[in-house]
Amino acid sequence: MPVRLRLMSMRTACLAGAAAMVLTAAACSSSSTSSGSGSSTASSTSSPSSAPTKAGGSITVLESSGYSGAWTTLDPPNNKEGAATQDFMTAIYGQLFELGTGGAIVPDLATGYKFSPDGKTLTINLRQGVTFTDGTPFNAQAVYTNWMRDLGTVGISNGFSSPWPIAELPAPKTAPPGTAEPPAAGVVQVTGPYTIVLHFTAPDGAAIDQLFDNIETWIASPTALTKEGTSFGSNPVGAGPFQVVSNVPNNELIVKKNASYWQTGHPLLDQITFKTVGSDQAAYEAMLANEGQVYENLATNQLLTESAQHFTVENNLGTSPYDLQLNTAVAPFNNPKARQAIYAATNFAPILQHLFGGRYPVTQSFTGPGGICYQPTVPGYQGYDPTLAKQLIAQTGLANTTIQLGTIALQTAQDSMQALATEWEAVGLHVKQSSWPLSGLIAAFEANGGKSWQSMVQTAGAYDPATGVGVAFRFNSHSPFSGVHDPQLDNLLSEAAGSTQLSTRCGFYNQAAEYIAKNYYGPFFFTLAPSNIAVHGVSGPGITTPLASVAVVPTIPWEDVYYNPSSS
Amino acid sequence: MALVQQIQLQREAGARDRARRLTGSPALRVAGRRLLSAIPVLIGVTFLTFSVMSLLPNDSAQAILGLNASPSAVAALNHTLGLDQPFWQRYWHWLVNVLHGNFGTTLEGGSVNHELAIHVPTTLELLLYALVVSVALSVVVAALAARRPNGIADRIILTVSMLGLSTAPYAFAFLLIIVFSVKLTWFPVLSGAVAGPGSFFKNLTLPAAAIGFGLFAIYTRLLRADMVDQMQREDYIVTAKAKGVPPWRVLLRHALRNSLFTLITVVGLNLGGLVGAAAIIETIFQVQGIGNDLITGISNHDVPLIEGITLVFALVTVFGNLLADLAYAVLDPRIRYGSSNS
Repeated sequence: MPVRLRLMSMRTACLAGAAAMVLTAAACSSSSTSSGSGSSTASSTSSPSSAPTKAGGSITVLESSGYSGAWTTLDPPNNKEGAATQDFMTAIYGQLFELGTGGAIVPDLATGYKFSPDGKTLTINLRQGVTFTDGTPFNAQAVYTNWMRDLGTVGISNGFSSPWPIAELPAPKTAPPGTAEPPAAGVVQVTGPYTIVLHFTAPDGAAIDQLFDNIETWIASPTALTKEGTSFGSNPVGAGPFQVVSNVPNNELIVKKNASYWQTGHPLLDQITFKTVGSDQAAYEAMLANEGQVYENLATNQLLTESAQHFTVENNLGTSPYDLQLNTAVAPFNNPKARQAIYAATNFAPILQHLFGGRYPVTQSFTGPGGICYQPTVPGYQGYDPTLAKQLIAQTGLANTTIQLGTIALQTAQDSMQALATEWEAVGLHVKQSSWPLSGLIAAFEANGGKSWQSMVQTAGAYDPATGVGVAFRFNSHSPFSGVHDPQLDNLLSEAAGSTQLSTRCGFYNQAAEYIAKNYYGPFFFTLAPSNIAVHGVSGPGITTPLASVAVVPTIPWEDVYYNPSSS
Repeated sequence: MALVQQIQLQREAGARDRARRLTGSPALRVAGRRLLSAIPVLIGVTFLTFSVMSLLPNDSAQAILGLNASPSAVAALNHTLGLDQPFWQRYWHWLVNVLHGNFGTTLEGGSVNHELAIHVPTTLELLLYALVVSVALSVVVAALAARRPNGIADRIILTVSMLGLSTAPYAFAFLLIIVFSVKLTWFPVLSGAVAGPGSFFKNLTLPAAAIGFGLFAIYTRLLRADMVDQMQREDYIVTAKAKGVPPWRVLLRHALRNSLFTLITVVGLNLGGLVGAAAIIETIFQVQGIGNDLITGISNHDVPLIEGITLVFALVTVFGNLLADLAYAVLDPRIRYGSSNS
């Protein structure tokens, strides 16, 4: 039986189009004017005042499936998503030290620390009278047990390596160079019931900063580790402000107040539900429908603007500036004048204004407003000068070549790259842009011994430049992701990392920033800062007051968060 | 005695007749052939998927461990996960394991079997919900439209179906969220666990509507066009009208029944397309199904997980088309009893 599709009449087509436009307009207008049952129609500011403190109640925190909402286990040395799931981990385990407002190192399960004069020994004092939620005492032996797992075969098998410079056991002869091995005997010592000591092979002034959001800060109950075995990751037991009620990986984690938490009167909330959402848009709609009270790391600019009409928007303090890496090992950027031309051709202010609403401060170094040693301006930094740029381009013949410019396949990075390319083309340069997912980006860096790439838009720096994807990651000779091979810069960065005095470290980092600027190793953009949104009435650090980000997003101390719906 | 023997002989003859009809049934022969031909199809689908994933630039271990991981750690994890083996060896191991019912281990260390066991039912429930409702509604609506071509009902229905064809499922999903979740708060944005009929309808209605609206549009237009064609051109329709059969009866008992063949064909063809829709819609509504898992697997380059899910979807498509073929036999006695024109 033949099927004939009837052609639609023009009138019906117009009707369909009109109906579609009406529906879309209605939805868009309702989206911008509606308010969920739990939110207020009052307009919000970026620095709202906190609601009066109120104990009790529960909230739902939405987490993006692309980052913090994806987890498989909550056992620290098996948790490869560690930094992303820091909210869950610190809610369950607490931390030895917290990164507080203004970058303060706040005692939590540890009460203090002390470096030896040579910086090679670190003594940490633990809080007394604390128990895990299963009643096991929290003490130095518990920390030792956990660190042996983290630094030993369990952590190593999951790709973790020590954040500290410690002596390791000798590797087998057949092992490739650089293979991680468990710590040598005596590296970690229990010198008292509540005192633990670390011995380094070199001074490490960043040792405490390196704890933030690293697995070594999350201490699990040794009793539960033994009892639960491989299922510990699904039923974790810690000494943090909350304990697990139910855990469905990649979907929902429900935690309830730890009645025996060491801090009297805390946590303020009775229960938190961490729920995974697929996208910023879905999270925003869920918040409007009152299915969530907090959403972390909202990155979509348009939604940030709209969120301000319904929710509290807290722009936290960024710590990792975007930077433009120039590969000094290959042409054209093995020529300092070519690099200077790039500096002179690049103007980040309009990029920041047009792409990001002027939301973030421009910086000239690898430090951000949320981190230590923040230095927004650097003496001798070559600023935007299109006239000079054209002269240098003519001198170096840069206009005769096509510059390879790459970045990671994330919206923010790609938008920035596109804007840069536009600016460069305006002064006569030719640009070929590429972007890759993480694995492809790594391959691009490593191809041909690191000589296949010319310029990359990346981030450089961390809360402490010596930790994580810090300055050495992008500027040290030995890093496969660096375009710079300069022993003098290596020395400066090494000296900074090894100093235990903050002022000395900052002095070295300032010198490093000036050195980078003087040699035109790579201009810096601005520090992207993650934004958290919350319904009115939810208050706390990172929600109504800014916090520094250690890794992408700040670690919210959930024991200090509360929800007072009557104030909204 | 002779009577008893006679009865027994008749029974045996009847049984032989039934067996002959069964084994000689064209419908069953078709089903058997389809099942046999599904084997190379399934192998081909999984091989193609494996090949494409292997060709893409990837280092899953590096992606899992992140930028900071040392080369030796990456190499060690690659070895642990078997990713340093040659392509043929990996595929062969995977295939042999699947034939023993073991879909392997995800790159995160979980069991693919476990992931499929807990998430496949949810996705099947969602797709079935979308399919059944869209087919049922399209039959009703198409009949209404075909009853009076170019009438008011027909024009409205065509307009709505054109909207369905023009609107992407993910865009429609957000529209549904704004209206039914945010404004009316009838349904949640984020789906919860399905533990009974109440939670089934509460959590899966919006996702099913997002998937089903486009399907409803396609089915309605095709069915309506076919029914109108039947009503205007076929002699048996003229005969039925001449015999005084009421118009609705002519439409539903005669034209619709013959038009269902077209619908069944299209439903079978569309099954594969539901895969993509499921993945996107499940992500938006956070339905804990294999579509969501597929997105995660692709992001992580988790080949065992992707292969397992691909195989499941291929199986669903194959069996769906098989059911469509068997449905022909149910509807058309000529096919069932092996006459010509089947």
